[in-house]
Amino acid sequence: MAWTGLLVGLVFGIILQRGRVCFNSAFRDVLLFKDNYLWKLGFLAVGLQMITVLFVAQMGWIRIAPPTLNLFGNIVGAYVFGLGMVLAGGCASGVTYRSGEGMTTAMIAAVFYGIGAMAMRGGVFSPIRTWASQFNVSVDANSSVYLDKVGPTLATVLNINPWIPAVILAAVLLWYTLGTKTTERKTKFNWKVAAVSLAILSPIAWITSEAAGRNYGFGITGGWVSIFDSYISNQPLRWDGFEIIGIILGALIASLLAKEFKLRMPKNPKTYLVVMIGGTMMGAGASLAGGCNIGHFLAGLPTLAISSIIASVFLILGNWTMAYILYRK
Amino acid sequence: MAKYEVTKSVDVRGEVCPVPDVETKRALKKMKAGEILEVWIDYAMSKERIPEAVKGMGHEVLEIEEVGNSEWKIYIKVK
Repeated sequence: MAWTGLLVGLVFGIILQRGRVCFNSAFRDVLLFKDNYLWKLGFLAVGLQMITVLFVAQMGWIRIAPPTLNLFGNIVGAYVFGLGMVLAGGCASGVTYRSGEGMTTAMIAAVFYGIGAMAMRGGVFSPIRTWASQFNVSVDANSSVYLDKVGPTLATVLNINPWIPAVILAAVLLWYTLGTKTTERKTKFNWKVAAVSLAILSPIAWITSEAAGRNYGFGITGGWVSIFDSYISNQPLRWDGFEIIGIILGALIASLLAKEFKLRMPKNPKTYLVVMIGGTMMGAGASLAGGCNIGHFLAGLPTLAISSIIASVFLILGNWTMAYILYRK
Repeated sequence: MAKYEVTKSVDVRGEVCPVPDVETKRALKKMKAGEILEVWIDYAMSKERIPEAVKGMGHEVLEIEEVGNSEWKIYIKVK
């Protein structure tokens, strides 16, 4: 069933490309350009998924797996990831879909991202991860919508029905995203359409991924690791590995149809060195944090996991720090 | 023949995000009222974001001209 990741990835890639969904831009534009267009896209998608993902779990089609809490990993890993994505010129999903659009810097960043994640999982950086694993916190679930053992969520901490915080936070995010002023941008694929599309695709990702034995929704980091596992050591490609291939193909097809595909290359070769460093920091950071901007922000926040809330804050702070250093003037 | 009396031109094709936006802002800061900046881009997202940012700064976007496969020139009049 791992091949279903390819179909989900294809649609995901088309949405990312058409919607220009890059979280590096989303976080940074708010700070640097006072532009909240993509920022709102992200938070609307998160708010809607709080309902759509919980709904399919309530129906018994999936059991939600909020990521394990690890204060060290969630804070340090996410912050390093946030710094790295500015250098790489895109977040995890951003460099993945832009590879499909023909951006050569994104291709290099994505490859170094995958290698960085593998180095943190089982290579030169792995002592850090092994040391940090002593801070892992899992709790017994307080609802059948969750797996038996989960990372703590707002619902488990307060010991309340997961629907209560989900509905409240979804309402707040809907009010914020739809009820306050949004920066204008002339786009063919409106931010609201993109957010709704993501919120519909997300539970489908959970369902098909669980059917393939992977208990999670959208993800990027594990997918790149799976591609290298498969390429280098002949392991079968996992659901998220198929998903990555799907994203690249989806973005390729969408950009070709829109006449936006082009092999793009910066004039200064130094840019390649910078994206290699950025990609490595992203991969190592995401692996330490237990997720990237997709695993923790887009897919993790809707589970109300404490780990994802903390990681999201720090990946935004990392992004702001590096964006401020490089681009404030 | 050039369409406009371009005072300054920035070629940011192939640059990573948000270099095109930032270089546009940097160039505009150094220019005087009435001058025209030409920004040469090849990334569709920049085509959507730069004009809005420039208008927000109070300048006028004269034209977004398609000059090739996924390539555009944005002409901005400094106010």
